[in-house]
Amino acid sequence: MNAPLPKQIWKWFERTRVGRSIFRVGLPQSNLERAQAMVSSFLLHIQPAKVNRYSLRASYSLGLGLISLYLFLILIGTGVLLMFYYVPSTDHAYNVMKDLQFVVSAGLLMRNMHRWAAHLMVIFVLLHMCRVFYTGAYKRPREFNWVLGVGLFLLTLGLSFTGYLLPWDQLAFWAITVGTNIAAYAPYIGSNLKYLLLGGNVVGQEALIRFYALHVIVLPAVAGLMIAVHLWRVRKDGGLSRPDEPGDIVQQVALSQLPTSKTYGLMELARGTTPQVGRNPEDEVFAWPHLLFRELLLFLLVVAAVLFLAIFWNAPLEEPANAIHPPNPAKAPWYFLGLQELVSYSAFWGGVVVPGVLVMALVLLPYIDRKRKGVGRWFARERAVANTIFTVCLVILVVLTIIGSLFRGPNWSWQEPWKKAPAATEGH
Amino acid sequence: MDHSTADKGVSRRGFFQLTLGWLAAIFAACASAVGAVRFLVPNVLFEPSLLFKAGKPEDYPDGSVTFLEEERVFLVRQGNTFRCLSAICTHLGCTVNRTGQGYHCPCHGSLFDDQGSVKSGPAPRSLEWFSVTLSKDSRVLVDKSQRVNPDKYLVL
Amino acid sequence: MADGSLRKFYGWFTVLGLLVGGLVVFGYYKDEDREWKDYQRKFVQEEIRRASTAQQRALAERMPVQIRQILLPDLNRVDRCTTCHLAVDDPSYGGYPQPLAYHPLHEQHPVERFGCTVCHRGQGRATTAADAHGNVPHWDEPMLPLRYIQASCGKCHESADNPGAPELARGQQVFEDSGCRGCHKLGDVGGVIGPELDKVGTRRSPEWLKNHFLAPATVTAGSAMPPQKFSEPDLEAVTLFMLSQTGETAPGYYASMKVIPSAREGQRLFQQKGCIGCHAVAGKGGTVGPALDDVGLRRSPEWMVQHFREPQAVSPGTVMPQFSFTEGEARALTEFLLHLREQKVESNLPSLMSPVERGREVFRKYGCAGCHGIDAKGGVPNPNAKTAELVPDLIRVAEGYTKDELKERILKGQREISALDPKRPPPPLYMPPWGGIINDAEADDLIAYLLSLKPGGEESGF
Repeated sequence: MNAPLPKQIWKWFERTRVGRSIFRVGLPQSNLERAQAMVSSFLLHIQPAKVNRYSLRASYSLGLGLISLYLFLILIGTGVLLMFYYVPSTDHAYNVMKDLQFVVSAGLLMRNMHRWAAHLMVIFVLLHMCRVFYTGAYKRPREFNWVLGVGLFLLTLGLSFTGYLLPWDQLAFWAITVGTNIAAYAPYIGSNLKYLLLGGNVVGQEALIRFYALHVIVLPAVAGLMIAVHLWRVRKDGGLSRPDEPGDIVQQVALSQLPTSKTYGLMELARGTTPQVGRNPEDEVFAWPHLLFRELLLFLLVVAAVLFLAIFWNAPLEEPANAIHPPNPAKAPWYFLGLQELVSYSAFWGGVVVPGVLVMALVLLPYIDRKRKGVGRWFARERAVANTIFTVCLVILVVLTIIGSLFRGPNWSWQEPWKKAPAATEGH
Repeated sequence: MDHSTADKGVSRRGFFQLTLGWLAAIFAACASAVGAVRFLVPNVLFEPSLLFKAGKPEDYPDGSVTFLEEERVFLVRQGNTFRCLSAICTHLGCTVNRTGQGYHCPCHGSLFDDQGSVKSGPAPRSLEWFSVTLSKDSRVLVDKSQRVNPDKYLVL
Repeated sequence: MADGSLRKFYGWFTVLGLLVGGLVVFGYYKDEDREWKDYQRKFVQEEIRRASTAQQRALAERMPVQIRQILLPDLNRVDRCTTCHLAVDDPSYGGYPQPLAYHPLHEQHPVERFGCTVCHRGQGRATTAADAHGNVPHWDEPMLPLRYIQASCGKCHESADNPGAPELARGQQVFEDSGCRGCHKLGDVGGVIGPELDKVGTRRSPEWLKNHFLAPATVTAGSAMPPQKFSEPDLEAVTLFMLSQTGETAPGYYASMKVIPSAREGQRLFQQKGCIGCHAVAGKGGTVGPALDDVGLRRSPEWMVQHFREPQAVSPGTVMPQFSFTEGEARALTEFLLHLREQKVESNLPSLMSPVERGREVFRKYGCAGCHGIDAKGGVPNPNAKTAELVPDLIRVAEGYTKDELKERILKGQREISALDPKRPPPPLYMPPWGGIINDAEADDLIAYLLSLKPGGEESGF
């Protein structure tokens, strides 16, 4: 018997009465059983039973989408735990932050994990979007999934922004003051949007409780739902994009005319588009174990990274929020600094038009760029123009963000970070 | 577990790596769960403390029974002995009143004698006595987390 | 190209599994390893060492290692200092090195009632020494250096004549004598040239305040404040007094202790409440009630305190109103009356003073000396002012002004000060309008005082 010990223990358990009552399908012994397990399990069935070898390559997708998902899960886990202590009141929130650091076991660790996972998620969702763009994976039939992705990106920013206010320190208060003021520049809806977000005209108790409600239930629920649809669409659109994809990777199928299906159960006999089988050379392997094991490894890696950051670097906490003492300059959260820099040039063009056009461009992208060439490969020659435009926009955004964070001092004046003047002395 | 076509089984090294990996991962998961539970156990309470000082011994005249409202206890002094009786009725938790030589609960009429024993009424148990000691700065120190027998008291 | 075998990942799996497991354990260990636990263990060792009976030893060994905190909802704070300062309430630890020393003021200000940060400042919620003592970034209230601790007495105790805070009293004295109020408002009384000082104790550090007294222009660019020439003890005292100005009001229980029962405090109350309206002292005053010169010989202190609390109870049919004095106020007034023979009552009661004496008080009250010098003798620099680059003294105003002209000048002020050299910046100090701040009666008394300031100090006999 050369199965590893954990497997032996497990096999013993699943033969017991209790084990059989919980797990309807035991540990698969054959490939048929492996495919069956994928399809008949609640937790696993959003993934395919078989997956193309090409999609498994780390160098192709870099696992960026999975990393984003894992970060989201870590945020939910740490977030729910933090909810047992956090009080969304302007009198209590800051003190809770201090208590987490000083008297709650693993309080600081939990808060750090939450904060770093949040920052990483913004970064990795953006990187995932770049990967999908550079591999042309937004093209037909995956247009709508790309739109869902843009929505998820905006939700990620929204989640980070609403969470940013909750510590109720100077950093939080003024970042949200700046952020909501930028939102107010939008024509017609801007000031109403700000009024609705803040529950009033100032950043105060009403704003805090609204941001809290958005942050812990509304946005996560919407994001969770959209993530589920997003993953479902990956399945239904034929898996991750590949260079050897046939042009008609999906087809309309009526219930009566199903060809030899690769499914083993009723759930895939749905009307609508479905991946075709039996018409192209297949290069697939079973998701169990090849996809699942890689996913497990990646999960461990992400958890290790977040833990490492959380153990050695602390989430910031400044003085308690004080409406009378604005820092100079007051800065939005880092992912909005590029936007704040643009706003400093022109509130309307920089704050409304440019971001609005960019978001619209992203959303409409797959419906504008209909050429099918170059899908499934990084930096395909045929897509040089599109890739160049995207890269230029990306680089400009990154540069603006760097300028906003490092090169702007009091009154948003230019300053060189290596020659930073000492902080404005207030007598301390 | 291995590739479907050439199933040669797991090598010894692979077996060892898999086992160790799974054990480590499961251990990490369990440790995280333990950590999460420990996180939820409060280390400090924001309630009135069970351990409190009730002032100087001189503040309590001989033969007095003083009701301390916030802490819901009676401080009893006889001669140079101090004792502390819980004022919470053992029936359903109302605050009892001092009457003559005993205590009476206004909610359901339980009667307790001077020692806190139940004389009549629905209360199932006698009132609790709490530990009384003298603090380092010579104050009467009551510890409601320590229940004592009525025969244990502070003697100055 | 993946060959389908997962074997190549097994090694990674082991590494990552161990890494995550290791990080979880390490993170948890690092979190459990807290500085305060070491301090508590050392304390337990000390208690065991000092234990003289087996019972004491057992008690010491059983002491739980946990965070200790004092909840102070009235003061809106939570103090965890006793997590390390474990013997603050144990007199047998008097003189021990910190953090195990007994607190000498514990009897008057029990830590269970007051906590620590209300006087010592710092960050009460913290549980590490550095964070708790507050000299860390993003905490605006570091601990007060111990030599300034009396600044905190002013938070609850009204009188600067607090016998336990002589430095605070000295500081207030220096402040009033130097005429700082001439430019700075404090508690609604004062000038408008400089900023109000009501909360300066929370906004500025001791070092900043000291430097500001010595060389204002170096800490506040463009300041018009002339450098002050304080002796070192006076400098420390007035810095301490500034630190006491926090604008915080003590709530409920703490405010009831505002008045410390001292004779000087009683005298202040006696003046404030207008007792002279009904009771005569030194032959001057009302005749509705008895004269008070010898009341200390006729009545016991207990009777007097009770009389203040409830006049009807001790003197049935009396017309003395119920004043609702706090306990401290009643005792302070009693102290004052008991020592009436020793007090120089005449010179201190406004209704018994002459106009010139009252005017001197007005001069002091509004800080005129801040610009016009101690005893109006001048000497305060006003760069580029035509008047010899000084704020003019007032000794000879009687020769240059009539009463009405003087009153006009005081009430209307003089905004434009003639410059010596038009190319240099204009003189920074000017005479603000005091109308609306100084009332009419005070103005008349002030003028009487000023007109009396002939060289040699002759009184003009108004």
